[in-house]
Amino acid sequence: MIEVKNLTKRYGQHVAVDHVDFTVNKGEIVGFLGPNGAGKSTTMNIITGYISATEGTVKVDGLDILEQPQEAKKKIGYLPELPPLYMDMTVEEYLRFVCQIKKVERNNEKETLYKVMELVKIKDMRKRLIKNLSKGYKQRVGLAQALIGKPEVLILDEPTVGLDPKQIIEIRNLIKGLGNDHTIILSSHILSEVSAVCDRVIIIDKGKIVASDTPDNLSRRMSQSNRFMLRIQGPKQEVLDTIRSIEGVKFAEAQRVREQGTCDFLVESHDEVDIREELFYAMSEKKYPILQMKSMDLTLEDIFLKVTSQQKGGATYVSDLQ
Amino acid sequence: MLAIFNREFRSYFTSATGYIFMSFFLIMSGIYFAIINLISGNPNYNLVLSSITMILLIGVPIITMRLLSEEKKQKTDQLVLTAPLRLSGLVLGKYFAALALFGLTLLITGIQPIIITLFGTLPVGEVLGGYMGYFLLGACFIAIGLFISSLTDNQVVAALTTFATLLLLLLMDGIKQALPIDRTSSIVFVGILVVGLSALIYFSIRNIYVSAGIAMVGFIAMGIVYGWDKTIYDGIMVRFFDWFSLLRRYESFAMGIFDLSAVVYYITFAAAFLFLTIQMIEKRRWS
Repeated sequence: MIEVKNLTKRYGQHVAVDHVDFTVNKGEIVGFLGPNGAGKSTTMNIITGYISATEGTVKVDGLDILEQPQEAKKKIGYLPELPPLYMDMTVEEYLRFVCQIKKVERNNEKETLYKVMELVKIKDMRKRLIKNLSKGYKQRVGLAQALIGKPEVLILDEPTVGLDPKQIIEIRNLIKGLGNDHTIILSSHILSEVSAVCDRVIIIDKGKIVASDTPDNLSRRMSQSNRFMLRIQGPKQEVLDTIRSIEGVKFAEAQRVREQGTCDFLVESHDEVDIREELFYAMSEKKYPILQMKSMDLTLEDIFLKVTSQQKGGATYVSDLQ
Repeated sequence: MLAIFNREFRSYFTSATGYIFMSFFLIMSGIYFAIINLISGNPNYNLVLSSITMILLIGVPIITMRLLSEEKKQKTDQLVLTAPLRLSGLVLGKYFAALALFGLTLLITGIQPIIITLFGTLPVGEVLGGYMGYFLLGACFIAIGLFISSLTDNQVVAALTTFATLLLLLLMDGIKQALPIDRTSSIVFVGILVVGLSALIYFSIRNIYVSAGIAMVGFIAMGIVYGWDKTIYDGIMVRFFDWFSLLRRYESFAMGIFDLSAVVYYITFAAAFLFLTIQMIEKRRWS
C-alpha cells in the first residue's frame, strides 16, 4: 500500500532522513518510534506530499506522490504533529471546509460530517469555535479532519499527545478499529502505545531505520536486559559488596535512600544469567532482607542504546549507563 | 478554489481585518469626496480616485499580510498542501478573496458619484474608466502583497515589506526623473542587471556553471547590441523603471482614456506575481 524507497531529505549539510526503505501492506498498522528530531515527522511530511524528498520515491497504492499528487493525496488522511486547524472557524464550518477541499461530493457532505463527528465524539462541540476548544478536543477535530474523504491510508503524527489517559485509551481503540479498513502509520514516543496498537514497529534514529519488527519480537529482544531495582534493609556499603561478590553481576550501584534504614540498588547481570535466586540466598544469609525486587522498565532511550549498541557490537551499553 | 475563496472571504469578516479595511477605505474616500467634490463643487470624481491611491499603500497590506504567512505559522498549510488541491487553486482562491473584498469596498464608494449625478452632471464614461483603472491598480498591488505574504511566516514583516514595496512603486515616477540617462551609466546599469539575474539563478538552482554561463551570454549580448546600435543604451534606466510604473498607466484611465494595452499590462503584472507566488510555495517544499 505504501512503498518508500531510498528516501533521503537533506537540509543543507544536515541529513534529516537518511536512505529510508520500508513498505506497509494493506490493512497494517505500523508504528514509527523515535526520539525528537529522529526524522519521524519529516518522513511523514514527505509521504503525504507536504515536502519533497531530496532523493527517493514514495508510492501510495502504486501512485507516486510527486508524479500523480492529486490522485495519491486523495488516498491519504494526514494528522500532523500540530493539528492544522483554523482557529476562527467553528468545528462544523471547519470540517465542511475540509470536505470541500478533499472533494467530498455535496450530497454526501452532511452524512460524512456526522459520521466522522460521531466517530471521534465531537458532536456536542460542533457549534463551538475551534480556538475555544481544549487541547484534547482540538486533537480530535484534527483526527476527524484526517478521516474525511474516506482515505485508505492514515498518517497520524503523535495522535495521542496532549490527551488525558481516558482519551488516550479511547483514541487508541479508535485507531485499532480504524485499522480494520485502513492502512495506518502512526508515530509515537511511547513504546507501550505502539505495542498496544501496532502490528509492526519501525524504530528511527538520526534519520535511519535501526529496527523494524513486531512489538512482541521487539520487546522480547529488549527484555533480555537483566537490570533490577532492589530495596534492601542493611548497611549500604556492605550490601553493595555482597551484591558485587555474586557471580554474574556485571554492574551494581547504590542509589538514593527512599526508606529509613534501607537503600536502593541498581543491579545488572550478564546476559543469560539469572542472579535473582542467588541474590536472595546471599542476602538472607547475611540477614539483609530484600524488601523489593523488580526488573527495570526499559525506557525508549535504553532501547535506542540497546538497538544501536547491538549494531556496534554492544560495546557502549554499560559505560553509557553510568 | 471555491472552498478556499469562501473560507478566506469569510475570515475577513470573522476577524476584524475586513471591517478595518472597509471602514478605513470608506472614511478616507469620504473625506476626499467631501473636500474635492462637495465643498468645491467639482463633478469630476476621478480626482478623488487619483487622490486615494495612497490609501492602497496601507489598505492592501492589511488584507494581504495574513493570506499565506498565517497558514505557514499556524501549520494549516499542512492541511491545504496535503489535500488533493492544485497549488494554483489555492493561490487564486486567496487572491480572489482579497480582490473581492477590495472590489466590494470600491463598489460601495459608488454611492459618491451617484450623489454627484443627483446634483450635477457626472462625466460617466470617465468615471467608469477611472474605476476600472483603480480596480486594476489595486489588483496588481494585491498580487504583490500576496507574493510577499508567501515569503515569510510573520504577518507584520509581510505587511511592512508590502508597504515599503508599494511605496517604492508609487514613488518610482518621481525617482525616475533623477536617474542619469548618459550611455556609460546605462551600460553599467545593464551590467548590474545581468549580474543580478545570474546571481538570482545561482541562488535558486545552486549551479555555478549555469549561472556563470548565463552571465557570459548576457555580457556577450550586451557587446553585440553595443556594436550594432549604441543609442539603444541611452536612457535605458528610465525606460526600465518606467516599465514598472503602475501609476503612469493608471493616470491615462483617470483622464478617461480606455487604454487596452494598459489593461493587458495590469493583468499580466498581477498574473506574473501570482505565478511567482505559486513557484515560491513549490520551491519551499523542495528546500
